[in-house]
Amino acid sequence: MTTGISLVRENAESMQPPRSLWVSFPLGRPLGKPGDAAFQHRVIDAALDLLERESGPVLEDFPEDAPAVEPTSAPACPVSFARPGEDSNSWEDRLAREVAELQPWYELGRRRRNGRTLVGVNELPPAENVASVGRLLDENQLPLTDMPWFKSAIEDLKAYYLEALTAQPGDYDHEQVQQTLWRETTLGAALIEFYDRFRSQDDKRLRLIARIIVPREAVDEATGEELTLSSAPEQK
Amino acid sequence: MVRLSDLPEYEREHLLVKNLPPLGPPVWTALPKPISRLRVALVTTAGLHFRDDASFEFADATFRPISGAENADDLVMSHSSVNFDRSGFAEDVNLVFPIDRFRELAAQARIGSLADVHYSFMGAGLMPEAYEASAAQMAGLLKQDKADAVFLTPV
Repeated sequence: MTTGISLVRENAESMQPPRSLWVSFPLGRPLGKPGDAAFQHRVIDAALDLLERESGPVLEDFPEDAPAVEPTSAPACPVSFARPGEDSNSWEDRLAREVAELQPWYELGRRRRNGRTLVGVNELPPAENVASVGRLLDENQLPLTDMPWFKSAIEDLKAYYLEALTAQPGDYDHEQVQQTLWRETTLGAALIEFYDRFRSQDDKRLRLIARIIVPREAVDEATGEELTLSSAPEQK
Repeated sequence: MVRLSDLPEYEREHLLVKNLPPLGPPVWTALPKPISRLRVALVTTAGLHFRDDASFEFADATFRPISGAENADDLVMSHSSVNFDRSGFAEDVNLVFPIDRFRELAAQARIGSLADVHYSFMGAGLMPEAYEASAAQMAGLLKQDKADAVFLTPV
């Protein structure tokens, strides 16, 4: 038997799993708030209680929203990404400089999280991956022959930036952090450039790659048609 | 926040495309024993695995086992969707994979015990039918582990 969380009520209404607790939390946060064990327990308790129902399907709404972040409580961004008088047009140079500038903040955040980090899906370090990503842009190339490397390399780079931007203790507005990543950093601009280049390809399978590079909110539009098993790009 | 009325049109349309019909005839299992005696497993579609495991591919219906004996803080995420928050998971593994919360529930005897092994799929890019074979395989493994109930978390 199953019980669990639903983040999109309309989807659960349609598919009718036997027991499901709808929560109003942001996508990616099914238990509501990081580091708040009491709140997480209330969510789990409500979902476990559904196991005692005698008939179903059961779709119940959790009565609480995720605790709000007060605008003044989030620590300021540790790095200024403004680049007046930028002296290089090279993506590789600018990305390398940005990753180096963020490194002490990434390390600080990692220590604060007792060593926990999401970086490391790719076996190469962020400095090496960002150099390769920058060179591809400078040489007007797409990583067509090594998509698994590209996917994991950009996942690692995004995790590196998010962890550096949230290095200090405090409650962060995750939407504000995303805004900083996508609107202010050179990495955000680089990934949007890749997005544009994949979106302009004639091959539908290459166009589909665009949607795993940037979120819809970063480009304020739908990022491509829905995937099916037959349309998914092959990986080597 | 995931109230469709609060989202931009392109986001609403994307989520509503996932309004699929039920997978089959209704299935209902009544509670076989008190919750305080249930053996519970966690299953997530968050694309979690340990660094030594293979990453999830662009579209991937396989699953990764997550042993309760390993440190869940070492879990990473290789989900293909970029349209959900990851900063919260970076902060606290329990936000997505509430293993410490369930250990606490077992210690308090709110549940009976935790399964030895939990599982992660990567829920993106495929229709539900694509997961049927691997889901059936996982169900067999959960039975071997004597799990009575599964707690499901999406992202």
